[in-house]
Amino acid sequence: MTHVPEIQGNRTEELVIEAREAQRERAPSRVARVGDHLKREWQLYVMLIPTVIWLLVFLYKPMYGLQIAFKDYSIFRGISGSPWIGLEHFQTLFNNDQFLRALKNTVIMSAYGLLFGFPVPILLAVMFNEILSPWYRKTAQTIVYLPHFISSVIIAGIVITAFSPSAGIVNTFLGWFGVDPIYFLTKPEWFRPIFIGTGIWQEAGFQSIVYLAAIAGISPTLYESAVVDGASRWQMIWKITIPSILPTIIIMLIIRIGNILEISFEMIILLYQPATYATGDVVNTFIYRQGIQGGQYDLAAAAGLFNAVMAFVLVISANTLSKRFSRTSLW
Amino acid sequence: MSGVRLDGIVKAYGAVQVVHGIELDVQEGEFVVLVGPSGCGKSTTLRMIAGLEEISGGTLTIDGRKMNRVAPKDRDVAMVFQNYALYPHLNVAENIAFGLRIRKEKKELIKSSVDEVGGILGLTDYLERRPADLSGGQRQRVAMGRAIVRRPKVFLFDEPLSNLDAKLRTQMRAEIKRLHNRLGATSIYVTHDQVEAMTLADRIVVMHDGRIEQVGTPMELFLNPVNTFVAGFLGSPPMNMQRATVVAGEGGPIAEFKGQSLPLPALEALRPGQEIVIGIRPEYAELRTAPEPGTMQVDVDLVETLGSEALIHCMLGDDPFVIRAETIGQPLKVGSRVSFAVRPDLLRLFDARSGRALPGQRAGEALSFGAEAAAQ
Amino acid sequence: MRIRTSLAAALACTALTSPTLADDGFPIVDEPLELTIHMHWPRAQGYGVGGDTSKIYPVEEVAREKTGIWLIDATAGKNTKDNNEAMNLLLAQGKLPDIVGGNRIQQPVNQYGPEGAFQPLDDLIEEHAPHIKAFFDERPELRQAISAHDGKMYYIPYLPDGKYGRAWYIRRDWLDKLGLETPDNVDELYEVLKAFRDQDPNGNGQKDEVPYFARDWEEVLRLLTLWDARSSGSDTYHDFYVDDGEVVHPYAVEAYRDGIANIAKWYAEGLIDPEIFTRGSSSREYLLGENLGGVTHDWFASTSGYNQALADKIPGFDFSPFLPPESAGGVRMEEHRRIPIKPDGWAISFSNEHPEETIRYFDYWFTEEGRNLSNFGVEGKTWNMVDGEPVFTDEVLSSSTPVNSQMYLEGAQIYRGYWMDYRYEWQWTSEGAREGIKLYDTEDLLVDQFLGVALNKDEQEVYDRFWPSIQTYMLERQQAWILGSGDVTADWDSYVSTLDRMGLPQVLEAMNSAYQRQYN
Repeated sequence: MTHVPEIQGNRTEELVIEAREAQRERAPSRVARVGDHLKREWQLYVMLIPTVIWLLVFLYKPMYGLQIAFKDYSIFRGISGSPWIGLEHFQTLFNNDQFLRALKNTVIMSAYGLLFGFPVPILLAVMFNEILSPWYRKTAQTIVYLPHFISSVIIAGIVITAFSPSAGIVNTFLGWFGVDPIYFLTKPEWFRPIFIGTGIWQEAGFQSIVYLAAIAGISPTLYESAVVDGASRWQMIWKITIPSILPTIIIMLIIRIGNILEISFEMIILLYQPATYATGDVVNTFIYRQGIQGGQYDLAAAAGLFNAVMAFVLVISANTLSKRFSRTSLW
Repeated sequence: MSGVRLDGIVKAYGAVQVVHGIELDVQEGEFVVLVGPSGCGKSTTLRMIAGLEEISGGTLTIDGRKMNRVAPKDRDVAMVFQNYALYPHLNVAENIAFGLRIRKEKKELIKSSVDEVGGILGLTDYLERRPADLSGGQRQRVAMGRAIVRRPKVFLFDEPLSNLDAKLRTQMRAEIKRLHNRLGATSIYVTHDQVEAMTLADRIVVMHDGRIEQVGTPMELFLNPVNTFVAGFLGSPPMNMQRATVVAGEGGPIAEFKGQSLPLPALEALRPGQEIVIGIRPEYAELRTAPEPGTMQVDVDLVETLGSEALIHCMLGDDPFVIRAETIGQPLKVGSRVSFAVRPDLLRLFDARSGRALPGQRAGEALSFGAEAAAQ
Repeated sequence: MRIRTSLAAALACTALTSPTLADDGFPIVDEPLELTIHMHWPRAQGYGVGGDTSKIYPVEEVAREKTGIWLIDATAGKNTKDNNEAMNLLLAQGKLPDIVGGNRIQQPVNQYGPEGAFQPLDDLIEEHAPHIKAFFDERPELRQAISAHDGKMYYIPYLPDGKYGRAWYIRRDWLDKLGLETPDNVDELYEVLKAFRDQDPNGNGQKDEVPYFARDWEEVLRLLTLWDARSSGSDTYHDFYVDDGEVVHPYAVEAYRDGIANIAKWYAEGLIDPEIFTRGSSSREYLLGENLGGVTHDWFASTSGYNQALADKIPGFDFSPFLPPESAGGVRMEEHRRIPIKPDGWAISFSNEHPEETIRYFDYWFTEEGRNLSNFGVEGKTWNMVDGEPVFTDEVLSSSTPVNSQMYLEGAQIYRGYWMDYRYEWQWTSEGAREGIKLYDTEDLLVDQFLGVALNKDEQEVYDRFWPSIQTYMLERQQAWILGSGDVTADWDSYVSTLDRMGLPQVLEAMNSAYQRQYN
């Protein structure tokens, strides 16, 4: 607490001068205080060093390479040796119908992925939390975590088999209802549902862990108190569990929004066909096909930079909105 | 008749029994405190009454109705938890209203009830705040508000003051007492703090290892503990316990210990050669300036001054002995020998083997006003 | 080992100070000369046995003795199998080893060679490499094919030998069972496939036969040749081809429309595996093993093995090659053949201070002695000369390890710039495949391959800007037509005009100008 002295008459000026001088003296003393702090807590800063180095080397240094998005890049000439060409790569991208289509597909698939994929792990976590038998709970959890640990190639194989028109379980099932086999993986209208469904199946269980951890952090007396107050299980989920993990949900949502343009590229490569490019081709796969023709790293860097800027804007907006409306934010 | 009756209540986890057949009858409007060391089963008993723990055996009756298998919400009880159990995402008013909302009460009723309870607990200015912005005492009041707003038949308190600092605890203790006087609802209160038990209870239930040791008014328990456990648990500082052998003296039985002797009240149960434990409350030891017949001698080890009183920690042979005395002008020197006397009717005698109080003792008639005061 | 290395280092120092060049013949130098090498290829990421650079290939030991040149490993990107990534890593380092080799080096070498990263080889070959010169003098089209856009040669390629790659295979036992003749033209093939579909040749009472199938879905496009269209001009799918001295694309010519219309018809009729696009690489294994597949187009070497492998499981199983059916226009063509030059091999980097010694070293592998060494390994160890022919020892031929895998560990058949000798492969080719090859040799089935063009900077820009999108569009339409969502005949005009709008004429123009420069 700063005590403000009562200032009277001609003492005022003196006091102001005194205060200024005190200020001047305080300035170096602040530096000294930081020095003292460093001296006292140096172990903490030493522990910080590896992370800082990691950040610099792996996240900040590569930013130097971003400039190739504005250059006619040749690996052999190097980054500094390649000539500047301004926004030509961006023009190339935005003049390409297939890039625009890929961009549209990316946004649509991300939005669907968010809409359908985001709530599932939360739901799973809440459901796991409601399972009383520990044995049953552990078994169920293991089963839904499992796909996360299987490589994408195998997952894609399972999906292709499941949707096969001759032997696939889906068509067999549809066959019972007299539906003719559908060659799902060559139908553009089915690509997005299958891809998003696969993503949910593969990752929802594992993503639920963070919510389960948040739920584990809720004091059990909250539930006991609610039980005594007469709340049903359903009311407890809505009035206690969900509000209690809401900050976690919002943080995850902001992070997810930041990754909205990062579609699981390898899974798409494994599942799509020229026949499903219309709905399945995303920016990353477009770049992959584009780049494989002749190592167009500069063009790929331009697309990547565009992705990153979009993600940055999205994260900032999501965070700002969240801060304003829910008091929760990433920073 | 909103009394609570526990009839042979048992709690077992698998093969391990932790509460061994509790018998307790709580009258309507009565304030009963369950007290005992940690792990004695007092909280488990309370949670069985609330319905948070299944009852393994015996019968629980509330208001004449058997409640063993009744869901917590239908028992018409309210519970206040040690860590308050406030919902961090709701403000004070919403926290208080939670139980009513769950029961889908009308909006106007909820509002008026919350306002009323807020007024009673002095929370009117804080109704819009969230728990995170409240002090410990205020949170505790909100927790109580949540309980009383529902006007339940029975209040259950599970160590509600343990998380508060000493000063707040004293203050809140008084508030709970006042609240009970005002609302007059049946209350069962669990604590490990014997001071809370003494100050709040109409009747205290002392529990130990899943059993009830003694039930009674605070003064009954203070003056007539039935065994060494109750004697040692209630009172601060605790009763001094001294092992002794009974010998027959001229004027009656005499206890001998550590080269000293003390005349005992003539009880039928006393036999020469019997091993007994003499309990002497620190308050009842009267300091004497010089050794007299019938006094005991101890060596001063440490003096703690409390203001108007002092605690004199002494050594009787190898055993510690505490005397509570009014502050004396002349400071006692550490190492000096002092004498004290005790009124024979204020001694408590226990059988050394069983720990039970010897029958026939009726102590402290002159002090019984204290019991009345406590019952007020 | 350590002693030898330090000795080598000492010798190398002397070599550096006073390079004693033998005028002609081998050894090239009297004192050992050390040259560093980047050698990144699928089987080994590094120049040493199985990629372990502390183990020297037996072939390298002999080559050291014969030439005096010691290759010392300096491979970048040892931790990745991706040769592209390894090459980028190497180039980004700036300083290059003396020799850069491995698989798929053609593109980077021809792109960065003119920028100064690699030394042009034409003059060096002319003056110092008589055997390489003789090879290319005999095959001027190959020299043109590997030249960069500045007309110079920057690498010595791995030159495959032998002609045939894929062939047509049919269940001959099914034909016999149904009393059918081997289909000799497209109409007969159509009838046979229908019979396979309808007459239950596998005899299980179910109509589950898959008449035509393929491991790689692109092989369904081979059917285009049956209607006088093309699927590719080289062993890369969807590649350009040369028609009457002009580079054209197979998916932008009239014949393609009719070919695709017929394929779509066959697909709709169930003559083509309905899951051909997703069944993947195990489909051959599955469809043959389950006694379901009837006809395919696949490699001689691997497809012939099934007769033996499935003999016990399926009595009478006979999956044998047959001649390509005559097309509607009366042409019998096997479109797929081995490419005569690979994009693999080795090059001399700009920092190599001994280009003459290096090109002479490269030349060593084109001598008879060097060629045998690079194909068969060390004489007396893995092979012997019998009646003037190099013949593998019984030990090599009867081993459970495939001969090529054995050679890789010897240091033979690795992706240096060398000329493969088909006698190496013939010795361990199965009897069935040999017969098939003999059958295919009875007629003139093969067509000339499009060996690629080296685009200059402007052409490359045109190509990069338009081609990836055009190809994407072509494949999208192609699959849609085959799957029956869209009718190629109805869509053709809009398809062609879309290709025009997307820049196909510009791409073809760039390709043709490069082609004219390179080959005429």
